[in-house]
Amino acid sequence: MPELEFNEEDVLSRASQGDRDAFGLLYERYIDRIFNYVYYRTGNLHDAEDLTARVFQRAMNHIHNYTDRGVPFSAWLYRIAHNLVANWHRDRSRRQEIPLNDLPVVPSKDDRPEATLVRSQEQDALLRLIRQLPAERQTLLILKFVENLSNAEIGQIMGRSEGAVKSLYHRTLLALRDQIGDQNITLEGD
Amino acid sequence: MSTSKLTSMPEDDLNDLEAHLAGTLRPVAPRRDFVQRLRERVHLPPRAEIATRLRDWQTLVLVVGGVISGTLVIITVARAMFHLFGKRNVG
Repeated sequence: MPELEFNEEDVLSRASQGDRDAFGLLYERYIDRIFNYVYYRTGNLHDAEDLTARVFQRAMNHIHNYTDRGVPFSAWLYRIAHNLVANWHRDRSRRQEIPLNDLPVVPSKDDRPEATLVRSQEQDALLRLIRQLPAERQTLLILKFVENLSNAEIGQIMGRSEGAVKSLYHRTLLALRDQIGDQNITLEGD
Repeated sequence: MSTSKLTSMPEDDLNDLEAHLAGTLRPVAPRRDFVQRLRERVHLPPRAEIATRLRDWQTLVLVVGGVISGTLVIITVARAMFHLFGKRNVG
């Protein structure tokens, strides 16, 4: 889908006044990002779709309360997604253990069968470790690798300084490496 | 393809792990029918729109006031009709 060109400030202003088309532009711009975030936080396609839908429903119902405080609109959306995912994890933990190896095969960005993401056992193991990290570390990894955002951009979304993000990222890598060692997981090199 | 254990990786060299993360955390596309269905829900949510509008208390007062006023007008007109035509028919 081509990137939609618009002045986000103007679109946000119109959307907060009830302009449905303006909200539609925001939806087009952020649907993939929010879906990816929720998908990697839950590891479940159907729940990711359900939660993504709820994120945008909630955003639409509350966008008139949105005020620009110098942080990107995406931070507001990610905050909604974060809260819904946290509730989802809390509800799941009350009911049952999450089947961590239940990560489905999902079409990649290209949406072509030949580009389908088929995960290896190694990648499944790594995903399981990632999903055992604290939420903010998972968020950081998703924003960095899935969204390809810089530390500064991640900092804006997470409400941290660029240096704090860099530090957290390094600690996250060290923690992951230690967990890989503890669980004796072997990763194939290139 | 070689196999390397990350446990033996030096602390200051985390490049291998980053490469594995980049290969694992790849963007995925939501299903097109899901995106389309949600787009329709987001663009045309009559219940949500009504709820949003009614959330504005001023609008709520106007709506309630309008309904009460309309009801009173209808009752008044009905009583007038009854007095004008009802009595004549009875007489």
